[in-house]
Amino acid sequence: MDILIYGIINSIALALMALGFALVYGISRVPNFAHGALYVITGFITWSLLRTLGLNYLISIVLALIIIGVVSALIYQFALIRVRGMAISEIIASYAIGLAILEGLRWGGFKGTTYTLPVFIEGTINIGDVPVDLHRLLVVAIGGAVVILLWLFTHYTRIGLALRGMAQDERAVLMLGIDSDIMALVAMAAGGMLAGLAGIVLLPLGNIVVEKGYDVLIQAIAVCIVGGLGSWMGAVLAAFLIGFAQILTTVYLGSHFQMVVALLAIILTLILRPSGLFGKQKELEERV
Amino acid sequence: MLEATGLMVFYENMLALNNVSIKCEDKQIVGVFGANSAGKSTLMYTLSGIMEDIQKKENMAGGERITVLGEIHYLGQDIMGLKPSKRARRGVILCPERRRIFPESSVLENLRIGGYLASPSQAKESLAYVFRIFPALKKIKKREGGFLSGGEQQMLAIGRALMAQPSLLLLDEPLLGLSPLIQVLLVRSIKEIRDERRISIIVTEQYARPVLPIVDYAFILENGAAVLEGTREELLHNPDVRSAYFGVEE
Repeated sequence: MDILIYGIINSIALALMALGFALVYGISRVPNFAHGALYVITGFITWSLLRTLGLNYLISIVLALIIIGVVSALIYQFALIRVRGMAISEIIASYAIGLAILEGLRWGGFKGTTYTLPVFIEGTINIGDVPVDLHRLLVVAIGGAVVILLWLFTHYTRIGLALRGMAQDERAVLMLGIDSDIMALVAMAAGGMLAGLAGIVLLPLGNIVVEKGYDVLIQAIAVCIVGGLGSWMGAVLAAFLIGFAQILTTVYLGSHFQMVVALLAIILTLILRPSGLFGKQKELEERV
Repeated sequence: MLEATGLMVFYENMLALNNVSIKCEDKQIVGVFGANSAGKSTLMYTLSGIMEDIQKKENMAGGERITVLGEIHYLGQDIMGLKPSKRARRGVILCPERRRIFPESSVLENLRIGGYLASPSQAKESLAYVFRIFPALKKIKKREGGFLSGGEQQMLAIGRALMAQPSLLLLDEPLLGLSPLIQVLLVRSIKEIRDERRISIIVTEQYARPVLPIVDYAFILENGAAVLEGTREELLHNPDVRSAYFGVEE
């Protein structure tokens, strides 16, 4: 019972971490290696607004999300757009930006255990005989809501449909009057905000530390590779696979094996089915 | 309406379009005929601005050097150098070779993505129109684009282009690889679209015979150069054209 409940919670948390990465890659084919940095810095921005400026928690969260959306858009407009289409350069550029943000935070003195965000709701309830704190339940609710809203957005709005068209065939979309640069910018901003949202929702469960940026990046990449790069439904499914595998190893082997599971999942996927569960990279599959 | 003069396109040192000038008057159907690699698709890409996007991407990745020269005047304005999305906004919509349907989206979604530039009321009206001229699409509107037959895909591609509210529709080899029966049906629809939507159409094809009955004026491309032009009657009575493009032996 506790494996089931904590497995679901962990899986939704992973899905939240990975969705931003999957969204940006799926639409603009830019692997955003600054994803983890955006996750952590949103936590610090919220903390600063909350503690240093003394703003209301909800207002701090909304402001932090807006700031991170703008920052992501700026990162795309001034750095990534110049290397768009060259996979290796995109990885190097975005990873360099991520490193700069994370190590800049460390250099700026944001380290140690003093940085924590308060949980949204205090208290625990028992489901069956398993105690679960309310914040973790809120994570599940928010994660589910994000997945549903994202689905509605990409199926029923003009911009969402244009984004999905672009994910399938960028040149065809150009012919229909959709500006691919602006769409990639929108995708990047939305991806950054999703990373930030994941940070704000998940960081209250622990301390805000710089190292989390790297962990989140690896977990997000693991989920996306297992699910198939560019496939959002694949990412959600893979989040459940990896999420439960992590909880099972935590229970039976020990919690320090969590990261091993994520990395092992990457390796196994690349050996057995390189394009992932729902991937569409047929060339890759045939070549390997 | 559209007047392109002295179009030259180089891929590195290879000349893909050599000083091509073409013209399309208001509400005309203009044909562009030529063999494989005569420069038909290059011409369409140049008119719609896709060539400049390819050029930009190649430049960025350090790939092929593409040079585009010439002038394109559309509704009295110079559109050379405008982004493809800007040209589409002015009504120049390309329906590309090999159709480029979105394979994972349903027929209806394909059409709705095409309606990005349309206002809600325009989109509604165009959608009804597309289903009226291609009733076959209405029956399969839930099916994914990748599962359609070639003819259905071509109808969908034309319908999707119509959703974008064109005033000049560029059709790049719309009959490629389709059965004669479907070809006849599509050619009839193309004429209908011109007559009912009051738009201009430039259509390219390898074989002139199926399309010639509906074109008002035509150009013939050979090795990237426009070697011949004329009205339908002029071309029909030209012996070289007859043997080369209609398969009629004298």
